[in-house]
Amino acid sequence: MIMGRISIKVENISKKYQLFHREKNEEASLLGSMASGLVNVLKGKRNKSSHEDFWALKDISFEISQGDRVGVIGRNGAGKSTLLKVLSRVVKPTTGRIEFEGRMASLLEVGTGFHGDLSGRENIYLNGSIMGMTKREINARFDEIVDFSEVEKFLDTPVKKYSSGMYVRLAFAVAAHLNSDILIVDEVLAVGDASFQKKSLGKMETVSQESGKTILFVSHNMGQISALCNKGILLNKGKIETEGNIQSIITRYFNSGESQAQTQTEFACPNDPSKNLAITKITLLDKNKKNVRSFAHDEEISIAVTVTKNSSLKDIILGLFFSDMMDKKVFSVQLPVSDKFDIHNERVFILVVPMATFTPNTYRISAALHIPNIQMIDDRPNAGSFEVYDNGSDFYKYAGLDIGMVFVNCKWEF
Amino acid sequence: MKTIITGSDRSFLNVSELKRYGGLFKYLSLRDVFVRYKQTWIGFGWSIIRPLINIVIFGCLSFLVDKSQNFTDNFLRVSAGIVFWQLLSTAISEVSNSLVSNSNILTKVYFPKLILPFSSLLVCLVDFMIAFIIFLLMFIIFKGLPPWQIIFLPLVVIYGLVFSFGVGLIFATASVKYRDVKFILPFIIQILFYASPVFLSSKFILDLNIPAFLKVIYQVNPLAYFLNAFKYCFYGTFESYNALYFFISLGITFLIVVFSVRYFLNFEKSFADYI
Repeated sequence: MIMGRISIKVENISKKYQLFHREKNEEASLLGSMASGLVNVLKGKRNKSSHEDFWALKDISFEISQGDRVGVIGRNGAGKSTLLKVLSRVVKPTTGRIEFEGRMASLLEVGTGFHGDLSGRENIYLNGSIMGMTKREINARFDEIVDFSEVEKFLDTPVKKYSSGMYVRLAFAVAAHLNSDILIVDEVLAVGDASFQKKSLGKMETVSQESGKTILFVSHNMGQISALCNKGILLNKGKIETEGNIQSIITRYFNSGESQAQTQTEFACPNDPSKNLAITKITLLDKNKKNVRSFAHDEEISIAVTVTKNSSLKDIILGLFFSDMMDKKVFSVQLPVSDKFDIHNERVFILVVPMATFTPNTYRISAALHIPNIQMIDDRPNAGSFEVYDNGSDFYKYAGLDIGMVFVNCKWEF
Repeated sequence: MKTIITGSDRSFLNVSELKRYGGLFKYLSLRDVFVRYKQTWIGFGWSIIRPLINIVIFGCLSFLVDKSQNFTDNFLRVSAGIVFWQLLSTAISEVSNSLVSNSNILTKVYFPKLILPFSSLLVCLVDFMIAFIIFLLMFIIFKGLPPWQIIFLPLVVIYGLVFSFGVGLIFATASVKYRDVKFILPFIIQILFYASPVFLSSKFILDLNIPAFLKVIYQVNPLAYFLNAFKYCFYGTFESYNALYFFISLGITFLIVVFSVRYFLNFEKSFADYI
């Protein structure tokens, strides 16, 4: 296999679906709708409905080189699954052209064609052949598949008696041993318990590093995507928003669209003279001093707090704490600020949180100016929030699992 | 190997691709056979009991209507009709259902879809073989060994299957979009049953005082020829044979098969969109 050769070439692919709308003055009850259906049949009229064209994909073009591992990212309804279905020839594109080189296997679902009444062994052969394996290929990898699935004891039991975990493990095991030049995977890894997820993801990595296999991978788990893929395609409403290096695509994904993050908050400067100090602005900055709302876990997070002074006061502390969305505090920091104002009446204090501090999640910042145990001068609870996403940490395999709130760089001795 | 997909793609009969998916054909066929009588107490006994019940019902019925034969002869003749009819009718309905009942595969993975209707034929054949062996034993006990014409039997069976496959394929394709097929099909099979010499002989029908055009329709019905040909293999005489009608029904079969395959291939690429 020569790297760099074009493996998949997609030119102006579009896919149209028709959405049918019933007329509004529809009978609300079952009896009513049955009656009107009968009337329509008698009158020789079809059920009145209008339809609207819906473009699930619109003018998609890209090229994938052999050996590239491409993550397809996008919000729900962006057209990811449709794209994979078109590529794997399950549905036909409305217009456009696709060219690919070699054998393609697609995993749009684990356990396609599994039959509950057949035994595990029979299902391995059936499912393998549905996925495009020959009998010889299945025979050759049969032991590996059984090993991987950990269901050896139940190989001759009908799969309808399996626990859902066993079922999924067997199904994934077959899929993981497919023999193809191009592999298309649609979020099927979101199955099984945490340890099997880890195992299956590890298997995916091994498979992807095998001799120049091209992989297209859809997932909502950015940790998985960034661990597996080197390139990315960001889809938005059926169109390609950007494509390129996976890290830049993930960053773009997190900084586009709606999100609950609140990245910059300004507070009116109080005229109340009793408040001689006030927090007037809190801004979240990335390492380029750009205002963003999501950070990779291995990125520094800067929080700029603007404090305005009306009169002087001694022993004042600027305190910040971080909490998760459940209001559980993660940690606090503080800084004596009284002596930091010289000639200025306003000063920006920037707190730099070192990289790899927060585990992937959404966090809130609260800030306050106070004299410890004596007086609360300005309290700004939940003044800002930000997201931390996984950029391929050691823990990306445990998506959805609580791994705590902070990464700590500990030392092992043995 | 390079594959090209375009929006204006049409399927064509790709024999080499079908061959590559031979393994899939095999496993899907075997699946249908293994699963057929799973979780039944009688198991494959059903492939004997079902025709047997029909033989008893229609054997008695035909004896009441047509008294030209003695009781055993009549029962044997009805048995032959029912056993072969069961093959044709199950083949039509299994092929018709083959796409909708496999929609979970159809929407998830690419393969030449023609495999599905093809693979549903084996289970019909297995059912037929079991019932047929019982029938053959009965025939030998009451009538002795069949005549030399029995060598035509495989041909007749294949011809009947080809016809049933064609008819079923049309329904299968239509049912992807219109589930009405599911409701119409039992009636069509019932009509075909009465319009074919399954339990009443062709001679009896043609001697009836019915309009001439009905008799023509009855005679060009390809099923009538299969059933009579099946009986020919055992009795050595071809009941109400007419060369013209024979070729007409042959032509009808040919047209049905060609049309059904073309119809199927025309829509093959949109199955996943509609099913």
